[in-house]
Amino acid sequence: MRYMGFVKMVPNQGEPPQALIEAMDKHIQKNIADGVFVDGGGLYSETFRTEIRLRGGEVTTFDGPFAEGKEEVGGYSVLEFRNHDEAVEGARQLVELHRQYWPTWEGSVEVRRIAGPDEVGGK
Amino acid sequence: MSTTAAAVTAAWRSESARLVAALVRLTGDLVLAEDLAQDALVAALEQWPRDGIPASPGGWLMTTARRRAIDIFRHNEVARRHGSALAGELESIRQETVMDDAVTVDDVEDDVLRLIFLCCHPALSPQSRAALTLRLVAGLSTTEIARGFMVAEATMAQRLTRAKRTLEREGADFELPELADRVERLDDVLVVIYLIFNEGHTATSGSDWFRPDLCHEATRLARMVAAMLPGEPDAHALQALIELHAARLPARVDREGRPVLLADQDRSRWDQLLTRRGLAALDRAEELARSGKPVGSYYLQASIAAVHMRARRAEDTDWTRIARLYDVLAATAPGPVVEANRAVAHGRARSPEAGLSILEAIPPDALPDSPLIPAVRGDLLLRDGQYADAAAAFTDAAGRTTNDAERELLLRRAEEAETLSAAE
Repeated sequence: MRYMGFVKMVPNQGEPPQALIEAMDKHIQKNIADGVFVDGGGLYSETFRTEIRLRGGEVTTFDGPFAEGKEEVGGYSVLEFRNHDEAVEGARQLVELHRQYWPTWEGSVEVRRIAGPDEVGGK
Repeated sequence: MSTTAAAVTAAWRSESARLVAALVRLTGDLVLAEDLAQDALVAALEQWPRDGIPASPGGWLMTTARRRAIDIFRHNEVARRHGSALAGELESIRQETVMDDAVTVDDVEDDVLRLIFLCCHPALSPQSRAALTLRLVAGLSTTEIARGFMVAEATMAQRLTRAKRTLEREGADFELPELADRVERLDDVLVVIYLIFNEGHTATSGSDWFRPDLCHEATRLARMVAAMLPGEPDAHALQALIELHAARLPARVDREGRPVLLADQDRSRWDQLLTRRGLAALDRAEELARSGKPVGSYYLQASIAAVHMRARRAEDTDWTRIARLYDVLAATAPGPVVEANRAVAHGRARSPEAGLSILEAIPPDALPDSPLIPAVRGDLLLRDGQYADAAAAFTDAAGRTTNDAERELLLRRAEEAETLSAAE
């Protein structure tokens, strides 16, 4: 089953400690070596970010500055797991790394199954 | 915090290969290593639902297994007296702080690679190698493997036990093969992974046309080996081949679950991500090949798959290129399967007669239990307008498969050919 994982965080928490960066790198390398990680990357937060919106029948384009949401998506990954439990465990490990190396960090990791061609992402 | 058994198993499984691999290195005993890993799982199933999954499941499992290993060695006088290397190892384990939770299963990629080589040992039959790899490297249960290969659980359990005994008897070495053996042994590993994929890709028996679980495991294993041996072009080539074939899986059956031939597949259903990954893996193999590393048949097969993937519509397929690739493949890895596929390619690239003449050259007793040759003959005869003969060939092919979906497909083609024949 294919999943999309999002790392979401409360904005303006400063730079991540080097130890976390290294631990995250190791985690991703492990996922690659296990054949779990298939795609992913970080996302720009301000530049190269545009929203095209439809409201009241009118289309508007917005380049920012963006109002700070409660949590911002900082990166995504596409992962392949055998089942939902494995996806949850992968997400848990990622959060655990933050707890260990950046305990004040506030944020979340969300995993969502990507619907196959004949599936409707149900409730 | 409550944790389900499924969550515990998931956490265990993500560590299982490293755990078993490190334990084999530590104990020098495959059976013991597997038992220790299983015991650690049992302990986790007891404690984690109550206490939650530990921060580092790998570390927890390793510590638990090591403690247990030390207990066993301590109480096993025989092992202590006879196994001098073992005793030395034991001493060093004992001296380490067993309670140290920092003991993790990180940095054991080499251990995992050794474990894969061990599971694919030449003393074992290919089927046993596949089963053992799924058991110890992929961490599947015996039940899951038995289901994958459509055999009774007891049969699979027996196969696994026998395989482990054989390795023991052979005194199979838990060392990476020396350079001279390395290429051959790597080839054994790749063959096993491809066997697992093919078993899933065209299930040899039963009612399912393919079994995605086995395909998925094989894909994972291929990625693992390529990641661990980045300098081996064949490892990347096999990964490419498998990712490209896996990309087509969603289009291999229609909405009613019936098989769909490559030419009739809805290509918009091909998995773009897997296609991209497959082509990238093929590029890596090509780059290594350019630097002078020899490449084998997986590279050619992946190149053929890539030609299919690059055609937006079936009629855009560059059959001339595919036919050329099959010519090279036939020269390097000859065999009736390659010849049959070469016949298809030449049948499209040149004429049905050209394909039929390649087919005629295959010894008639080749692949008696496979529908491949009569199915190809039927296809080429159909294209040549010889409808009655085509119908007979398809019927012949249908009688040779034990897979229900494949039989249905072949009988459908026989019927189509008969209809055309009757209309003449």
